[in-house]
Amino acid sequence: MINRRNFLTTVALGTASAAFLSACGQSSSSSKTGSADNPVTITYTWWGNDDRAERTRKAIALFESKNPDIKVNGNFTDFAGYWQKRATEAAGGGLPDVMQWDLSYLRDYGQRNQLLDLGTVKINTDAFDKSLLPSGQIRGKTYGIPTSTNAFAVYYDPAKLKAMGIAEPDGTWNYKEFNSFLAEVGQKGNGTLFGGTDYTGVWWMFNIWLRQNNIQAFTDEGKLGFSKDDLKKWWNTTAQLRGTPALVGEDKTTQLLPKSPFGSNVTATEATWDNFMAGYLGDSGAKELKLVPVPSDDPDNLGLFLKPSMLMVASAKTKYKDAAARFIDFMVNDPEVGQIFKTSRGVPASKTQRDGTTFEGTDKLVVDYEKSIEKYLKDAPQPPIVGFGTLESSFKRVSSELNYGKLTIDAAADAWFKEAEDLIKQNA
Amino acid sequence: MTQTPTLSRRSQSSAPSQPRTSRRRGADARAGYTFLLPWLLGFIALTVGPMISSLYLSFTNYNLFDPPKWIGLDNYATLFQDERFLQSVGVTLSYVVFGTPLKLAAALAIAMLLNSKRKGQGFYRSAFYAPSLIGASVSIAIVWKAMFGDSGPVDEGLSFFGINLGGWVGNPSMTMPMMILLTVWQFGAPMVIFLAGLKQIPADLYEAASMDGAGPVRKFFNITWPMLSPVIFFNLLMETIHAFQIFASAYIISNGEGGPAGSTLFYTLYLYLRGFSDFRMGYASAMAWLLVIVVGIITLIFFKTSKSWVHYSGDSK
Repeated sequence: MINRRNFLTTVALGTASAAFLSACGQSSSSSKTGSADNPVTITYTWWGNDDRAERTRKAIALFESKNPDIKVNGNFTDFAGYWQKRATEAAGGGLPDVMQWDLSYLRDYGQRNQLLDLGTVKINTDAFDKSLLPSGQIRGKTYGIPTSTNAFAVYYDPAKLKAMGIAEPDGTWNYKEFNSFLAEVGQKGNGTLFGGTDYTGVWWMFNIWLRQNNIQAFTDEGKLGFSKDDLKKWWNTTAQLRGTPALVGEDKTTQLLPKSPFGSNVTATEATWDNFMAGYLGDSGAKELKLVPVPSDDPDNLGLFLKPSMLMVASAKTKYKDAAARFIDFMVNDPEVGQIFKTSRGVPASKTQRDGTTFEGTDKLVVDYEKSIEKYLKDAPQPPIVGFGTLESSFKRVSSELNYGKLTIDAAADAWFKEAEDLIKQNA
Repeated sequence: MTQTPTLSRRSQSSAPSQPRTSRRRGADARAGYTFLLPWLLGFIALTVGPMISSLYLSFTNYNLFDPPKWIGLDNYATLFQDERFLQSVGVTLSYVVFGTPLKLAAALAIAMLLNSKRKGQGFYRSAFYAPSLIGASVSIAIVWKAMFGDSGPVDEGLSFFGINLGGWVGNPSMTMPMMILLTVWQFGAPMVIFLAGLKQIPADLYEAASMDGAGPVRKFFNITWPMLSPVIFFNLLMETIHAFQIFASAYIISNGEGGPAGSTLFYTLYLYLRGFSDFRMGYASAMAWLLVIVVGIITLIFFKTSKSWVHYSGDSK
């Protein structure tokens, strides 16, 4: 009996420790380069909708066929969930090898040594506009390579306007004219079509308005450059329109998520980035969508700028630096990749890619739009402060409570300022 | 059911009367600990360790990347000036206070219906239990969101009866009823426990009561309720603790943001957002520990007050 018991003990102990050891020792073989027979696998993640997923899969397949020694495992989520996932992975030390990135979060991760210094690997940036590259750099190190540029614009659906007998806008308008345009659409839309979404809830529209009034959003010391009164004034711009058919109700907007009201054919206009064209066309099924500049009370200062719409970054902990660099280089420079994405990531940042891509139809509209505003373009804003992503999403949240009528404009401004000041203090 | 612990304790105490050598007892212990080892390792590595580190982090300013900075009780102090925190407490409390009793009432009612003998009993039992099997899953939250959305089946159904509420998902005053309905619908687990409890009640009690002319209401309050009270107590405790921890369905239905207008900003959701969206893990840890303390206190209150209404067989009343 005792022998059998000892035997069982040994077996149990052995099994337990084997399980324990195998759980600990799961780090994969550390071969840093692959071959066609034994390719290395890198992971790549991006945010976006089905349209972008389809294009990305094509680009990955093309990359793999040209680089048989590397396999790319891709996956995507929507924008909001994307950053929570990355934070979880970063805390656990397991960020994907290559990631699509946003300017809003570059400091959070770059400054905290989570991203690979791409200056240490081979990525060709000769074809890039030299004024664009600094947007991916922090303290002299390059953490992100811009894939493309985008600019803010007002979208509209010409077919819908025509059906209502409303003339197409030409984009030379001030806020008052823009508002009465929204009101007219809402009125003729008869409860089924609204003028637009409340543009004062979009941080970047506010930022553009600040620039139009020659106010800095953030000071060089990383503090807020505008006052509470500026913010109140901004939210007051649409005070008369909230709750009218000029602006789509917040309850509808919420229910349509993750699609936008414009993509769901609920509004006739939308103020947002010009590279959303492909996504909107796909979501709404519209034949044609057009772009005009945002309103400004100063016709000589539209406050517009080109922003890197997306960046490619790599994890600081990636085991496959070379493979990651080759994939990034391919995604930002290869003309065939440009041909796949067209303007859906924005207008390609690399000249090689831009020249290798034929822009037709709506893609041409986006390229033409960016050309048309060239004379108004000013320097891109400072790379946002640490924690900017949080500020941006709380801006959206507070504006939505404003639209629900849960907060007055004064209370909303107080709430946002309190959060912003707290956050800036936290990260100081 | 409630007598089993006492019985087993008695049988244990009689066991050592058998003669045994101490060497043998040592070998027994060693084998016991060996078998316990995998669980013990897991418990220490995955439960105790993280708990201790989260307790430490709750006194620090920790952003997931840089080393934590000790700030003492600052996190706990700021909590009570944080309007969103207070909102999340309000949302969670209203969910616990309204959701849990309704869920238990539904569970008990269905359990009583299913307790009687009739045709197709097995089918009904599985059918009523099924929602709680799949209920915690992400897919149900997605289905729920679609059902209660604008021109979803619920909206259409209600407008058929002339009630026009519009979509519930985007309406801040309707999201809480929706979340409560979702939890009530998942009454299967407490129902099964109630069913087991009901089976324990001797049938002759009811027979005797019938002979004395007691109606169904009287039988419920004088027999079922007191006989079942330990089970009710157990379910109430478990479901309350469970309700405090609601996360997945709230996360899905509100797109991970606690919206619309903060109406589904549940405690754990805000905790998660603080930790993983705002990189304030110290703050999130403080919230977690506060939740542990509050749930502990509520459990204690339940146990203290239970003496007045929970009756174990063998008690004088």
